[in-house]
Parts: sequence; structure tokens; C-alpha cells
Amino acid sequence: MKVGILGGGAWGQALGRLVIAAGHEPYIAYRDQKPPHLLPSTNDPPKVAEACDLLIAAVSARELRSAIAMTRPGPRNRVVVAGRGLDPGSGRWLTDVVESASDVIRTGALAGPAPTHEILNGALCAGVVASPYDDVRSLLTEALHSSRYRVYESRDLVGVQLAGAVIPVLATLTGLAQNLQGAGVGVHALVLTRGLAEAARLARAVGADPVTFRGLAGVGDLVAAQAQPGHPYYDAGKSLASGDTSVGPEMVARALGQLARRHGVEMPLTEGLVALYEGVAPVEVVQRLMARPATAEEH
Amino acid sequence: MSPRRKASLGSRAAERAGPWVGRGASRLMGGIASRMSGRDLDPARTGLARPKPRKLVNDGMVERSRARFAAMSDRALTDALEDALYQERKRLQRAPPEPDVDAVLEDLARALVRGDREAKELAGLRLVSLWAEEVHGHFDPSVYKVATRFLPRALTGLLSGRPDRLRDWELSKSGRLAVRGDIGWIEELSREATLVLVPTHVSNLDSPLIGLALYLAGLPPFTYGAGLNLFSNPVVGWWLGRLGAYTVDRTKRARLYKEVLKDYSVRCLTTRHHSLFFPGGTRSRSHEIETHVKKGLMGTGIEAWQEMLEAGRKDSEVYFVPLTLSFTLVLEAATLIQDHLAEAGKQRYIITDDEFAQPRVLAAFARRVLDLDAACVAHFGTPVDCLGHAVSRDPVERAEQAAHRRGYVCDRDGTVQRDEQRDREYTNRLGDALVDAWPRHADVLSTHLAARAAWRVYARREGTTDPFRLIQQTAGKRRLPRAEVEEELARELARVDEKVQAGELGTLLPGTAGDVLAEALDRFGRYHRSLALEAQGSELFIGDPTLCLYYQNRLSFLDRSEAP
Repeated sequence: MKVGILGGGAWGQALGRLVIAAGHEPYIAYRDQKPPHLLPSTNDPPKVAEACDLLIAAVSARELRSAIAMTRPGPRNRVVVAGRGLDPGSGRWLTDVVESASDVIRTGALAGPAPTHEILNGALCAGVVASPYDDVRSLLTEALHSSRYRVYESRDLVGVQLAGAVIPVLATLTGLAQNLQGAGVGVHALVLTRGLAEAARLARAVGADPVTFRGLAGVGDLVAAQAQPGHPYYDAGKSLASGDTSVGPEMVARALGQLARRHGVEMPLTEGLVALYEGVAPVEVVQRLMARPATAEEH
Repeated sequence: MSPRRKASLGSRAAERAGPWVGRGASRLMGGIASRMSGRDLDPARTGLARPKPRKLVNDGMVERSRARFAAMSDRALTDALEDALYQERKRLQRAPPEPDVDAVLEDLARALVRGDREAKELAGLRLVSLWAEEVHGHFDPSVYKVATRFLPRALTGLLSGRPDRLRDWELSKSGRLAVRGDIGWIEELSREATLVLVPTHVSNLDSPLIGLALYLAGLPPFTYGAGLNLFSNPVVGWWLGRLGAYTVDRTKRARLYKEVLKDYSVRCLTTRHHSLFFPGGTRSRSHEIETHVKKGLMGTGIEAWQEMLEAGRKDSEVYFVPLTLSFTLVLEAATLIQDHLAEAGKQRYIITDDEFAQPRVLAAFARRVLDLDAACVAHFGTPVDCLGHAVSRDPVERAEQAAHRRGYVCDRDGTVQRDEQRDREYTNRLGDALVDAWPRHADVLSTHLAARAAWRVYARREGTTDPFRLIQQTAGKRRLPRAEVEEELARELARVDEKVQAGELGTLLPGTAGDVLAEALDRFGRYHRSLALEAQGSELFIGDPTLCLYYQNRLSFLDRSEAP
């Protein structure tokens, strides 16, 4: 099977290697410069849509709409989004972006730990693909599942995408908690557990399964973020602790906050991160959070 | 007569109606048809013009069931037949004896206990054959021709209290049955594709009024599944069957029966019988526009489309036409809202003892309500395909869309790839598109808007939006200052106008808030015994809060969140 990959960056390249490991042929669409690898690739994205039924979008949320518009996938294509977050323009799910920017309706999302450099170096890993369509899940599994990379399937497309948006926020917050002066492992644990609890609340409100957060897309991805030296979101948390608000998942945190407000869900940690980006000092944010009234430990 | 008894009478009414009024009446109608100028059916526009012999249709349904059985594993076949046996026996416990069905079920039970696979299949097919005979309609083009000659006038006469208006059913905005939407476009589509009309469901009067609207709009007749209870009157059953209705018995819960129904629907669609489904499944008990749809019959659209693609037909497209019905007053309002409040909607899925079953009430309703201007508005919406995508108005673009659409079900060689799970998801999308379309083609009428304004004022004064608390308040608390209601009405009117300007809504309202209120009070006073809203000096009184809730519910879609 020929598997189209949109995006010639490191993640696209890593997915290409996984496709080869599963016994298939990757075909990578890149935009500007030819990536420095020998995998089959083209700078003519529509060619990839024409040649491959399955397309994996390995681009950032910000680039997704233009990548899809350039590729022009059609009704026959299935598109699996392998990026994290929400659409910066509308705050909508990334699969909605694919559907609104093309004629594709069979979409899915791939989430879970994505230690790109480890995968490129042959390390073992796993991910979860979610789609309401059986054929999208089975095609993606066939394309990637191998002795190097295990693929698990889920029908909870909203839950997996929500996890993909929430985990960068939580990873940033744990980075912040571990590097904030005066905060110890207790704060770290608090952020982790209550972060997952508020994510589960939002999941219920948007019709997702909160259990999805216990899987690869949730806890799995969060553990990987903390265990991986130099993880971008974890490092962003460090920078925020020192007062640098130019990095991290600001847009995603704001979009999640809006989503939560629309559904009447409290997400104090996410709102706390938004407050940091609005210039509130980290210490004050922590004080506000700790001053919240006592409540039952609900998940 | 008990509802059960009525339903059971109906279970064979269709069958009995044939011999009772069948052949003689058909000959009579044929004779009349030759002397009267009714509307002939155009074979290019509807398969109803070329009805297939009854035996051929029934044999076909049995043969396709045989093929489905053959494709099943032993376990799946046994499961399906056991379910049919269990469900039918359960149904018959609450129905009068049906010896022919009993005999078939006895055979089936024996085959399931002692028979081999062949015996099981044969016993199952005997049951299918009985059902196929019951389901199949008796459409007769000559009866249709006669009916189109005199039924619109007869219906007008029945529905009118004013002889001077006997002939003025019209398509104008102010007609009693106001028909809105782009009829010309739908008429054009009916020539090149198979149409499925998907209306909201408010009242048992929906079907005859839709039939009349189709006739007035110059559209071909549509076939539809009528509840078996409607066939309980042999004369009505005879007419229904011969004018395009087929029989659906909602008391039959067996999966196998549902398969037979779906198969019949697919056959109708692939033979260019434009069809009518009520995706809500039953009348909206609360009067809210449907937000959930039943997808069983709707899914037959994509099935039929794929069959026609496989056959290489040029007329393979199946388009769904949303239709929103808005009534000034609803005949069964009191019964329906009580049923909704009792949360008994499911138990009383088939209501047989409502106002529709009381001829005097029906006649009074017809005389006092349906004779009003815009008593009912039938608003046809933008046609969509089996996946819920809007169909283009431009023929060239439409042909391109059709070619493009095949990609959703065909592989790169153009071969149709069957995938039931995928098709269910596609049908879910279609359902979402319809839920989205119906409110956009709703027409706000004075009774809806006045009830909404009064209900909002009432809720605000009582400090709660809980309908159960509000309907239990004493009469004294249901008196509202007229001026306050009018102010609220003016605000709501402005909001509605905004939506109308944006093309998101229709209205048939008099000019000002005061006019709307006056018209609504007049309308409410015409039919219901206890009034949803009435004027008492400088106050308005919510006489029957359940009715006020019912009419205000029609506009509840205005409060829906637009968030994902």
C-alpha cells in the first residue's frame, strides 16, 4: 500500500520510517525545500492525494488548513491528522478543518507519544488512531502497525483530539510546576491529577469518553512529555516559570478555555495558564489556584 | 374499542380491504377515470406510473431474504429467527388471534428446535412472505387519476367552513395551506433522480396535507409507509394503499421485519418511486422541531444509490428534500404535550386514542382552524444528497457533483465498495444535515411567538425555567401584564426578523407585536377548550400552561447553542 504523508518535517519523516517498517511505501508531500532524506517525496501534494487512498497529515495545527488546501484530497481519500491542538482560527477540531477545507469526510486522528528522534533512531513506540469509520482505523493500523510501532484503535475521535489539545497544556503546566520557586513534587502531582480531572470534565461535556485520557493519547503522551529531555512543552513550562511568556501552547489554552466556558465546565488550571499569558505573575496564579474553596475529588 | 383491538383490526385491514372494496371499486374507478380528466402519471417522473405485478414484487422480496439468509452463518440465522419468533409471539399475546401467523410461527418454532438449516430458512421465508404481502402497497394509477380529479376539492370541502372558499387552495403566501420553497427546482430534480421527502412530524394530518401540497405544487405522488392503525378503517385503508401508501406495523419489533421494510424501501427507490419518510419516527410530542432522527429507513437511500450505481444507471442519484411543517394550531396538541410531560412517549409510541380518532373533534378543527389563512405552512428546503451535502441548482454542476460523489463509495477503479459501517456513518451525517435544515425552513406563526413571549415572561416572574414547576403553578400566578408580554413579544419579533433577514428563518406574521398578539389570541380561541393564552382585561391569562408550553416549544431551536 502507498501511504501519503503530508509534511516533510521530522514527524513526517518518522511516520515514513514507520510505514516502511510496516511493509508499505510512504509518499511524502513537502512544501518548500526537499527534506534531507531518501524517502519517496514530492513538492506536488495533489500527486500524493491522487496516488494514495490514505493520507496522514503530519503538520502543525497552524499549517493544517493550507496543507489540505494545497493537497486537494477528494472523496476517495481518508485523512488521518497526526498533529496536536485545535484550529487556531476557529478553535475547532483538526478533523473539522480537514472536512471544511476539502471534500474528505472519512477522517481520523492519530495521537499518543511522538518522540520523533527516538522513532527515527529505531526506538519502539505506540499510538492510538481514532475514527468513527472502521475502514479509516483499519487502513491506518495496516499502514503503521509493526514490531516497532503498535497501533491501538478507538472510536472516540473527539476524545483523542481533545487529549491532543489538552496534553500540551498539561505538559507545559507540569514543566512550570517543577521549575517554580518554592513548588515541590506536591504541586507537580497536584497539577497532573487535577489537570487530568478537568480534562475529563471537559471530555464529558463535549461528548467524549473521559476514559480516553487514561490511554496513550492522554496519560501516555503526558508521561512521554515529562520523561523526554528537551520536550518542547515541558521546556515551555520552564520558560514560563522564569517569566518568559513568548513560548508554549497559548492559542490552545485560550481555545480550550473558550470551549470550557461554552460548555459550562470549570478548568482552573487551563485558565491559570491563560492568565500567565495575560501577564499575571506565576506566583499569583498559584496563589489563586490554592485559594479556591475545598471541593470533592471528582474525576 | 380499545387501541389494541383497533390495531389488530388494522393488522389485516389492508388485506381485507382488497376483497371488500377492491376489484369492484377498482373497475368502477377505472371506468370513472376514463370519463374524468384527472392527472395522468408521467412514467419519466415516477415509477408509480408502472406498477409491477404484486406477485413479482413479493416473490422478489422473498428471494432477496433467501439470499440474505444464505449469507448468514448458522448462528446468525438462528439468532435472527429466534428474535422474530420471540417478538412475534410477544406481540400476539397482546393482539387478537392471527391464525395464519400462528401457523407460520409454529413451523418456525419446530424448525428452530429440530430442523436443519434448510428447514429453518424455509420457515423464516414463510414469515417473510406474510410480511411482504402486508407491507406492499396497492398503488393504482387509475385510482390516482380519479383522486386527483376530486380529492383536492373534497378535501377542501371537508376542511372548509366557508363554501365561497371551496376552490381557493392556493400556493400563495397567505393560502390556507401555504407552500413555500423552490418548487420548480424540486420538480426538475424529480425528473432526473429519485427524491425522498423528509418532513418534520407534527400531526396525523401531516400526510394528507403533504399529499395535497405535492399535488398543488405539481409534483408527482410520493409513496410512504403509513402506520397500520391508519388502515383500521377499510375505506381509508383502501384509499391509502391505492394512492401510494405501504403498510408499516410499528408493533412488529423483529429485526427480520425491519429488514423486510428496508428491503421494500430500497426496491421503491430503485424503481424511481419518490418516497416520504418521517425521520423523527413519530409525531413530536413536545412540538419541538426534531433534533434526533431514526436512521433505519433513511439508510435505504444510500443502499439504493449504490445499487443503482452498480447497475450503471444514469438516474442513480437519490436526493433528500427536507420539509418543515408549521401549524397555527395543532389538532392533537393537548394529547401530545400530556404524553410528552408524562414521559410516556416511548410506551405510547403509537397513540390511537387521540383527537385524530374522534371525527367530531377532527371536523371542528377543520372548520375552525384549517379554514384560516396560513393554517399550515409546508416549506420545502434545499435538497441534499445521501451524505447530507447540498445539491447544486445548476444542472452542469449537479452532474459534476454526481460524478464526484461516487468517490465516497467507489474505489479508484470505479467499483462500488460495500461497507455497512461506513454507510451508517454517512447516514448519521445526513441526519445531522436534516436536523440543521428543518429550523432554517420553519415558519414562525403568531401562536408560536405569542406563546413564547408569554412563557418567557411567566418563567421570569416565577424565577424558574423548569416546565414542571411552571405548569403546576396556581391560576393567580399565570396572570401576566399584557404590556410586559407585548414588550417581550416585540424583542422576540426583532430577533426573529434578524434571522429572517439573514435567510435563516421564515415567518408569516402580521406587522407589529400588538398585531401578532391579537392574531394569536384569536387563533387560540378557535379550537382548544382550555386556552393557551387569553385576554382578561389588561392582563393575559395562561389558561392551560401545558398548551402554552407546547406552542412555545416550537421555537425552542432559537435557544440552541451554536457551539460545537
